[in-house]
Amino acid sequence: MSKSLLIISRQAPWSGPGAKEALDIVLAGGAFDLPIGLLFMDDGIFQLLSNQNAAAIQQKNLTANLQALSMFGVDDLFACSHSLSERGISSEELAVADVQPLSTEEVRALVDRYDQVITL
Amino acid sequence: MSTLHVLSHSPFSDTRLDSCLRLLGSDDALLLSGDAVYALHLQGSALTALEDKTVFILEEDLQARNLECPQWATCVDYPAFVELSIRYDKVNSWL
Amino acid sequence: MKFAIALYSAAHAPSSRRALRFAEAALAGGHEIVRLFFYQDGVHIASSNIVTPQDEQDLAQQWATFISLHQLDGVVCIAAALRRGVLNADEAERYQRPGVNLQAPWELSGLGQLHDAIQSADRLICFGGP
Repeated sequence: MSKSLLIISRQAPWSGPGAKEALDIVLAGGAFDLPIGLLFMDDGIFQLLSNQNAAAIQQKNLTANLQALSMFGVDDLFACSHSLSERGISSEELAVADVQPLSTEEVRALVDRYDQVITL
Repeated sequence: MSTLHVLSHSPFSDTRLDSCLRLLGSDDALLLSGDAVYALHLQGSALTALEDKTVFILEEDLQARNLECPQWATCVDYPAFVELSIRYDKVNSWL
Repeated sequence: MKFAIALYSAAHAPSSRRALRFAEAALAGGHEIVRLFFYQDGVHIASSNIVTPQDEQDLAQQWATFISLHQLDGVVCIAAALRRGVLNADEAERYQRPGVNLQAPWELSGLGQLHDAIQSADRLICFGGP
């Protein structure tokens, strides 16, 4: 049985290549049919906001990649509710429909459930 | 499942320690390395939050910064670090 | 125990040195290193162009020596390397770039190698940041 991997993405979308490089790990894992989860936490939740205009700063818009995750077999998407409320964001404002908001307790249980974790 | 969380950023300039402490499970432990050992300079409730957790500290980083290992933590060298990475079910480094 | 070790920071970062010390201790303790995977700024460790001041630790050289000595798998993520200007002869030719700065014992490959290492190993340890 394959080992499961949770990626915790903590970087804002354009603070460097970090957000995209975290996503690339997820996509590669999905392409190999591995059990991958993706948790957005801290500034990582900014990747999920709708109506972002990456072109204004000549950056890539990650939203399309995030929305395509289920096509790569990655359906386990989560957002830390504490990080959302710290930033005054409600889960209705997120561009990615299938992201499950989790309480701190649930995040703890999530990390526990996976065989390996990479926090970027 | 138990996780060893590895930190290397100073808690005074970075939020990783705060986020890590929020997530920390009862069977989990922290390893402070690099600038994360400056956590020993934390004051009041920020320090108390650390004191009741299972905390390991990389010895060389304490020595470099002329800090002493507090009695609520355990100092480790590299062979012990390797052993910890095996003792805990997984290692989560806050990169 | 089998370890997969991934590095995300450049040679001059303290975490890169800690990773090497950890890797050495793992082998000294009789454990196996399935693969070393270099991602994000970790790809810079593979650059053969690093010139370290004489009074500083040459981590890039130490890593290369460690990998050669123990015949380990030192894999550098190709996408991360290209973006950061770390190219082997094939890639320099492909993209018509003047410099070749990735040579043996380093190899360029994809993220699939990281996933393969995670699946084969008992433990994954990542090093990055300061």
